[in-house]
Amino acid sequence: MRTSRTLGIIMIAPAATMIFLFYLMPAILTGIFAMTNMSTATGISGGVYQVTQSAANRLQDDMPELAAGIAEPRFVIDDEGLAALEALKLKPGYVAELRGQHVGAVFASRREAERVIKALKDRPSTREVKQISDLFNRSVLNTRFETRDALIGSLEKLGFTMTPEEQDKVARVTYTGWVWTTDNFRVIASSPDMAKIFFNTAFYVAVTLMLFNVSYALFLAVTTHYMPPATASVFRAVWLLPRITPVVIYVLMWKWLTWDNGFISMFLGQFGVPPKNYLLDNAYNAWFFVILINGFIGASMGMLVFSSAIKAIPQTHFHASEVDGASRWQQIRYIILPQLRWPILFVTCYQTLSLLASFNEILLSTRGGPGRATEVWSLAAYHTALNNYTGNLEYGLGAALALVLVVIGIVLSLIYLRIFRYDTLISKPLIED
Amino acid sequence: MRILLDKFSKSFGSTKVIEAMDLEVGSGEMLALLGPSGCGKSTTLFAICGIHRPTAGRILFGDRDVTNLPSQERNVGVVFQSYALYPHMTVEENIGFPLTVRRLPASDIKRRVAEISALVHIDNLLGRRPSQLSGGQQQRVALARALIRRPDVLLLDEPLANLDAKLRLEMRSEIRRLQKETGITAILVTHDQVEAMSMCDRIAIMKEGEIVQIATPSEMYNDPRSAFVAGFLGNPPISFLKGKALGGAFVSDDGNFRLPLGSLRDIGDGRALTLGIRPEHFGPDGDLAIEGKVVFAETQGRENLYDVVLADGSVLRSIQPVRDDVKLGDCVRWNLSSEAAFVFAEDGRRL
Ligand SMILES: Nc1ncnc2c1ncn2[C@@H]1O[C@H](COP(=O)(O)OP(=O)(O)O)[C@@H](O)[C@H]1O
Ligand SMILES: [Mg+2]
Repeated sequence: MRTSRTLGIIMIAPAATMIFLFYLMPAILTGIFAMTNMSTATGISGGVYQVTQSAANRLQDDMPELAAGIAEPRFVIDDEGLAALEALKLKPGYVAELRGQHVGAVFASRREAERVIKALKDRPSTREVKQISDLFNRSVLNTRFETRDALIGSLEKLGFTMTPEEQDKVARVTYTGWVWTTDNFRVIASSPDMAKIFFNTAFYVAVTLMLFNVSYALFLAVTTHYMPPATASVFRAVWLLPRITPVVIYVLMWKWLTWDNGFISMFLGQFGVPPKNYLLDNAYNAWFFVILINGFIGASMGMLVFSSAIKAIPQTHFHASEVDGASRWQQIRYIILPQLRWPILFVTCYQTLSLLASFNEILLSTRGGPGRATEVWSLAAYHTALNNYTGNLEYGLGAALALVLVVIGIVLSLIYLRIFRYDTLISKPLIED
Repeated sequence: MRILLDKFSKSFGSTKVIEAMDLEVGSGEMLALLGPSGCGKSTTLFAICGIHRPTAGRILFGDRDVTNLPSQERNVGVVFQSYALYPHMTVEENIGFPLTVRRLPASDIKRRVAEISALVHIDNLLGRRPSQLSGGQQQRVALARALIRRPDVLLLDEPLANLDAKLRLEMRSEIRRLQKETGITAILVTHDQVEAMSMCDRIAIMKEGEIVQIATPSEMYNDPRSAFVAGFLGNPPISFLKGKALGGAFVSDDGNFRLPLGSLRDIGDGRALTLGIRPEHFGPDGDLAIEGKVVFAETQGRENLYDVVLADGSVLRSIQPVRDDVKLGDCVRWNLSSEAAFVFAEDGRRL
């Protein structure tokens, strides 16, 4: 018993490992990344504490004094500076006097510090004043601290006193690594850009799916069903070409068609129409072509699935319905379509998911343009996480976008199952009675 | 309505299935197309209902030439071998389908479905789907669907082939009852001679795309035109003895057995002949004794079947009232009714 169980585990292990590494991990990592603010700036490992101008800006609202203070230079007469001064071997009186009278003094600006230095009894020259003051410059702007304690300690030494909450706040804004956050979802929910992209996506998926992936595919499948077999095979092969052609080439053809020196422009040029880029001319055109490109590629799958499903309908059903007086249209309506319920559900589901997730045709044709007119959710995720205009790739936000897409896909699938009432399709056969 | 096939031919590509068939089915008659599998029965039926276009010849319903009419315009009801019920429709929708596609008002359809389903005794099953029905019930649904729009012609393609023995018996009389009640002209395609004989007014027996004989069941049984027809009808089947004509009699090949040919005594000596003897004509009664050994014995309750091997190795079948004095391996001396024997020429023609 025990040995067989161990054996079972050993046998399952490779498959389990594969499932874990290649199926579960990506999903889990997406979920994890979505809950962070990872980006090129934060890196994906840990970070340091660095008081940058932008961190100071972020403190502006809550702690204006502190924000102003840390952004400014600070001068502190401390032992470290005195030792450095000694090493410069200027007049020994400078060190003695500073140590004797000013040790521990903090100046908020260079001007204040230099006034004190200038007033030393040994009268340093202007050049020496500058030299000396540099030694006591303790500004934190752009200094990196490895730990939070080092940052806080340093700030305290510079005379900033902070409540623990303020310390937290300062540590948070100066941290350069990634942190756990739900901000991504807040950004997605509240950004008007994302709302626009959401509606773009809904429009794109719904129109491509209904017009092409289902209706056009059904049309092709039904048409070929009523053709002689040899002719039907030829047509099916032709209709598969957009799917077989590498997408880069296929989209290139469309570009040749629509570019300002492409076929449409050339043809219309004969009639004196000035050439223009029909693909990116305006949002309507861009959508028109994006949907056509995706539609012709995507319809092939539905066509194959529906064709084979129609083939699976026994020939006698068609004979019977003819004898019963059904016209061709009635045959389609009463015999073919009802028996294609499952294939239609399958194609709808599958193509919804693939349309939601795919953006390569759009990327290759319009890049989401003109402007962001044809930017869809997955393309936005790609642009956010992998190919940002600004160069800062926001992995965390990108992952959150992807996660939202996955959730939408699951919810839609469940809705489809409800609409098509799959439970009623499974009937209970009775034994001879 | 009368159905007439006039020089009807059908080929699929280069395969000739039916060539120049003539067939007339009288109005209100039920005719069986009987023949072995692959002889072209379904092809003929499909041409009559318009699923296949004839390659040549004409098809007439009454006086109307329907040769080039599509199925939709022929008003035929067909029961397919597999029933061809639409799996996604309920029984009610299936039966009503021919009326639905004619866009009859729903209330009319409902009423007529109720009528016809009562006629075939399935009015309690209207809400079910075909997959929830037994074979016999599916059969009735198919029948109801074929009959609902009162077709001129009812065509049945091996309607009982998928049923078990008891149901087959029941549906046989059921279909015949419906055909008589509706007075419809019907063609029954079957490879089962019992079905053909028990259900139909006349039988057209087919072989390799040709009709070899048309007759009433009893005529065909008692007066077969060929060895093929004689061999096809009758259960247990007829047995054949090989021999030749000699001095106005049939003599078996080994010379041991001689049967006077009576009216056929003028046949030239030496001509090869085949004798057909039905099992009921070989037994204790008869006028011509013959010896052999029992190699097979079986009781069917009321009757016993025996196979008897003769000296020349040929086998005669016998069916007799139950007796228990004959066992396997016994030598018996039983009699033939010489009058009832059929004489066939070498090519199978009856003489
Ligand atoms: N659609 C078809 N295409 C080619 N050959 C066919 C077709 N239908 C029937 N046949 C051939 O015609 C012959 C008769 O078939 P069928 O009428 O179905 O015989 P059955 O008497 O068993 O009903 C068979 O040899 C069959 O192979
Ligand atoms: Mg057949």
